[in-house]
Amino acid sequence: MQLYSPMSTAPKRKAVRAPALATIDGMRIGVLENGKLNAEEMLNEVAQLFVQRNGCTIRTLASKSNASAPAPGNTLVKVAQEVDFLLTGLGD
Amino acid sequence: MATAAAAKITPRIHEVPDDLLAAIDYCYDQGWTDGLPVVPPVVDRVKAMLAADDRPPETVIALHPATGLDLSLHAAAVNAVMAGCLPDYFPVLVAGFEAMEKAEFNFHGSTASTGGSAPLLVVSGPYADAIGMNSDVNLFGPGNRPNATIGRATRLILRNVFQMIPGISDKSTQGNPGKYSFCIAERMRGNPWPALVETQGYAKGASSVTAYAGGGFCNVENHGGNTPEHILSSVADAMANYGCITLGQSVVILAPEHMGIIAAAGWSREKAQDYLFSQAKRSVDGMKSVGKFRDREYDAQHGEGASPLAEQGFIHRGMRPDDILITMGGGDAGGHSCFIPSWSRGRGSIMQHAEIRKRS
Repeated sequence: MQLYSPMSTAPKRKAVRAPALATIDGMRIGVLENGKLNAEEMLNEVAQLFVQRNGCTIRTLASKSNASAPAPGNTLVKVAQEVDFLLTGLGD
Repeated sequence: MATAAAAKITPRIHEVPDDLLAAIDYCYDQGWTDGLPVVPPVVDRVKAMLAADDRPPETVIALHPATGLDLSLHAAAVNAVMAGCLPDYFPVLVAGFEAMEKAEFNFHGSTASTGGSAPLLVVSGPYADAIGMNSDVNLFGPGNRPNATIGRATRLILRNVFQMIPGISDKSTQGNPGKYSFCIAERMRGNPWPALVETQGYAKGASSVTAYAGGGFCNVENHGGNTPEHILSSVADAMANYGCITLGQSVVILAPEHMGIIAAAGWSREKAQDYLFSQAKRSVDGMKSVGKFRDREYDAQHGEGASPLAEQGFIHRGMRPDDILITMGGGDAGGHSCFIPSWSRGRGSIMQHAEIRKRS
């Protein structure tokens, strides 16, 4: 008996991580909050820890209107020009 | 929109012994099932399914942005066979994914989320009767093959093609019985309102599928009410309960008994939508009392472009009356309608529709 596989035949996408920063001391931080309850508060608290411990500066706060969808491309392009790393995550 | 033909990649074939029960077990072993036995996707049955669509089997009908995985007609047909679909059901399944593939539906988010929604498919138009779908007693099942298997095939595709695996990429906190199957037909017998497919702008005689990320099922019982306000206030109360109220959309399926009361008073669908939107609300203080009030949601509902029915000092369910899909379904007897809340606390998924096209 021959069975067809029910899986997608699309090749798996290759994902590439950004290179790690050599140091986070003095870096510029962006915050990308997802609109969920407490997200902005939680991420700002985390950002403050980087400020206190590593001398980072908070440069920008960007928001997503849809927590479960990727950030719009133009948001990421803009933020990437202004910061060295970005904090994001759920707020629930 | 994903309609292009992908590069031809030969679908993988698994050789298994000529033993049906062993083949069912093999499907379990491969992780291809929803927990229930599947029909082994033997080559002949898949080819018969594909004959229901005259496009090349490698035609892509949906893309999953999060993974880059795509859904070809071939993969859809394999999963349709496994779910128990007959070839005549295939155009409904295809239309369902053509609707879900629209970005506003956000099928990745609605499937991956802790919220645990299931894609509800509402079939409207003559094709539902043509393939024997149920719009009547026991609307949400069990008992009807096309309803059950089209809904099940939808789930199997999410699992097998898009790899939305429970506990891994599907993080639903509690799941949802509709995640096994959630597919109904709109009842037109005795329905005083235009079919959904007519309101969606399709040509006369067309049929459509509406896809909606349904967050559950809430029975609305009212056997004592005898005015539209009695009935719809019960529905509105369900829509506005503190556990459900969000800015999201709503689906309301009115039982024929309830619809009869509303229709006898001459209410249109639009009037019922306005009434439900007006009544399905909670005060700002009330929302604060349960920790669910958010300034930005209030501002979104009451700011520029707001519905004139959005009352100051209240949060309504949805953004405007036409966020509420209302139609009729179920058996003649019983004062049991239902409200199906949307997934997401905001506007994470917006219902979409697509025409059912018979292409063979």
